[in-house]
Amino acid sequence: MRSSLKTLLQRFRSLRSRSLFTSGLLGVCLCCVIRIATGAPPKQPPVRLTDTGFFLQRPVWHPDGKTLCYARHEGSQILLWVRDGNNEPRKLTDRDLPEYDASWSPDGKQLAWCRVSQSGAQGDVDVWLIGADGKEPRELLGSPGRLTHEESPAWSPDGKLIALTTTRDGNQEVYVVGLDNQEPVRITQDPGIDAHPAWAPDNSFVVLATNRWGDFELAKVDPAGKELVRLTESRGLDDYPTISPDGRWLAFVSLRTSNFEIFVQPLAGGPAINVSQHEGLDNFPAWKPNGDLTWVSNRAEDGFDLYAIPRDQLLQRLSTSR
Amino acid sequence: MLNLGSQWTRTSGGLSRRSLLQVGAAGALGLSWPQVLRLRAEGSPKPHKNVIVLWLWGGPSHLDTFDMKPQAPIEYRGPYAPVPTNVPGIEICELLPRLARQANQYAIVRSMHHDSSDHGISGTIGLTGSDSGAISLGGQTLPGRVQPAHGAIISRARGFDPRIPSFVTLGGFLHQGRKPITGEGGGTLGTQYDPFRLDYDPVEGVKLPDLSLIEGLTLPALESRRDLLAQLDRQTRAVETSRAMDKLDQFYHQAFSLLTTTTGRKVFDLEEEPVPLRNRYGRFRFGQCCLLARRLVEAGVGFVQVNWSSHVEPIEDTGDGGWDMHDRNFIQMQDRHAWMLDQSLSTLLHDLEDRGLLESTLVLAVGEFGRTPKINNKAGRDHWQSCYSALVAGGGVRGGQVIGSSDKLAEYPASRPVTPGDLATTIFHQLGIYTADLTDYGLLPQGTVIEELL
Repeated sequence: MRSSLKTLLQRFRSLRSRSLFTSGLLGVCLCCVIRIATGAPPKQPPVRLTDTGFFLQRPVWHPDGKTLCYARHEGSQILLWVRDGNNEPRKLTDRDLPEYDASWSPDGKQLAWCRVSQSGAQGDVDVWLIGADGKEPRELLGSPGRLTHEESPAWSPDGKLIALTTTRDGNQEVYVVGLDNQEPVRITQDPGIDAHPAWAPDNSFVVLATNRWGDFELAKVDPAGKELVRLTESRGLDDYPTISPDGRWLAFVSLRTSNFEIFVQPLAGGPAINVSQHEGLDNFPAWKPNGDLTWVSNRAEDGFDLYAIPRDQLLQRLSTSR
Repeated sequence: MLNLGSQWTRTSGGLSRRSLLQVGAAGALGLSWPQVLRLRAEGSPKPHKNVIVLWLWGGPSHLDTFDMKPQAPIEYRGPYAPVPTNVPGIEICELLPRLARQANQYAIVRSMHHDSSDHGISGTIGLTGSDSGAISLGGQTLPGRVQPAHGAIISRARGFDPRIPSFVTLGGFLHQGRKPITGEGGGTLGTQYDPFRLDYDPVEGVKLPDLSLIEGLTLPALESRRDLLAQLDRQTRAVETSRAMDKLDQFYHQAFSLLTTTTGRKVFDLEEEPVPLRNRYGRFRFGQCCLLARRLVEAGVGFVQVNWSSHVEPIEDTGDGGWDMHDRNFIQMQDRHAWMLDQSLSTLLHDLEDRGLLESTLVLAVGEFGRTPKINNKAGRDHWQSCYSALVAGGGVRGGQVIGSSDKLAEYPASRPVTPGDLATTIFHQLGIYTADLTDYGLLPQGTVIEELL
């Protein structure tokens, strides 16, 4: 009885979710139409793209701009789900042990992801690869026999490297791993915590969060780890950096207003603009390939879902705020 | 066969009144026959205050919540900044912005400490004030009988209320790995003082695990059973008129009333709450349990314990989201635990105050210990019992202050050391339960009152 109810509820959510996904895309299109017709940006709230209600963690967009992969918390499980356009979301694997932090390959045929290999492993997390269809899972980087965690994989735009974090050297640092030789090369060297690497579209550098200057701030470092440059300086953490597809903008989550908000700032330098502006919790920014900015928020207050600001609207907001 | 909790009995004729009563009380409250014989001493009236304990199982890091050390070396301080609260001079972690805006409502004790770094032993100390009968990670049982949980003592002191239980736990039984934690129940007072146990599931809603009926048996059917029992009652009352049986009847009817009557069930019905308020508590298990806790104290429950999780392990370690962050401490704090605690606890305090209940409801948020000030080699923090923090609010406690302090690395108390027993003694004091009462119950004092809190 309970399982039937649960199934019904999930189906209902799924139907609502698909409908919202469609209307969300329509909303994005509508914004563009209004922009073209009036020449003025519509002052609209972010468009809601999903209606799952579950806590969603670190969504990432497929290069096709339609397919999404995210970790979903349900009860005491965290598992990866793939949502292909309007189709019903599907689990990426048939596992029931924790998995999270996915990153698409540039050709969209594979994902890198975090995999807990056994129950009660206390920190033994490895980075694996898997086909987009959920087949042929294989380990990219682990530490057999050691309780280390490899996580936060980010596939380089040229498809040759994966940036990730690991504690294999006794502190959480950022590494890049070649897909050909699977050799990890450490690119940060600091007793602080370095986290959440993301690539520039031209492969020239990696952005990351680090607490070497106090609380979490953002920095960029070249793939050889030779030069690290500070990008933000604020009271309150800055984290989960991600660079727009055109390479101009850095989106990240920040607590500088004492609330989790999504900020965007020019990579070339300039002020960071709060683009979420809501008392709810806004987190995990992710760019769509077309430049729309998406993130997870509980602003509707009936749970967490994915929201988007269309590229056009975002650019207008950024230009008027500077 | 009818399964009411762990009890099995026949549903057809031939049942004695005694066995029916056993099914009713045991099934509804998870009690066995001897437990049902609740014969409480008539005590003197106590101040009508209630307690909500938010049990942060697994042990949250004090350096990343209420006792930050921004001047400590990078190997200690963590990646978060302190933020000022609405009380000048008090700062807490930036991950708790809502709580920072209402520090006037609570006190922070920064010098909690005890002697065990084992979840099992520390858990028992935190729940009972004593390590007697605690079970360690290695499976060793410490000498002595398990002492009653604080809720059981309050239940004992408050006496029997035919409408509602005095001690309710929201959440499953606590575990360390696969080992149960002792000290969640009546202990030496007897299992009749065990808590009435409920839970909340975001999909299924409020779960009444002790009323896990077999499929097809509905509440109306159960009420029919009550009619049957009432008939049996009338037939047998003439021969069974002992005081014990009267008490048993009371206990049975209390449970039945709570679970089967409209007014009783309303206590558990979160749908009665405005949607915006439910959302403010947070649409996740802990948040809705905090709301349920408020409804329970509003209905007269004396002591409600909300277990953050059953297992100490976080979800990524295949637990159910506990605070035992030996690895990935910061990412888990930031992604989930901190904002969940911030949202639910801040809303609970506001809600209690808005309803005029905060002065009569003591709220305690604490785990079994803190975490190592020095960050380990997995970006985590390990167990640390030598110094940790507790948040205390309401119930006559003076908010907007910090009690005790830790040293520069938050490793040891620097001033005014406080034990879990002191904290419990202070709670009892606020409820009018004093050393003489404990002695009457066959219990020893656990500590001394933290006068600065009052």
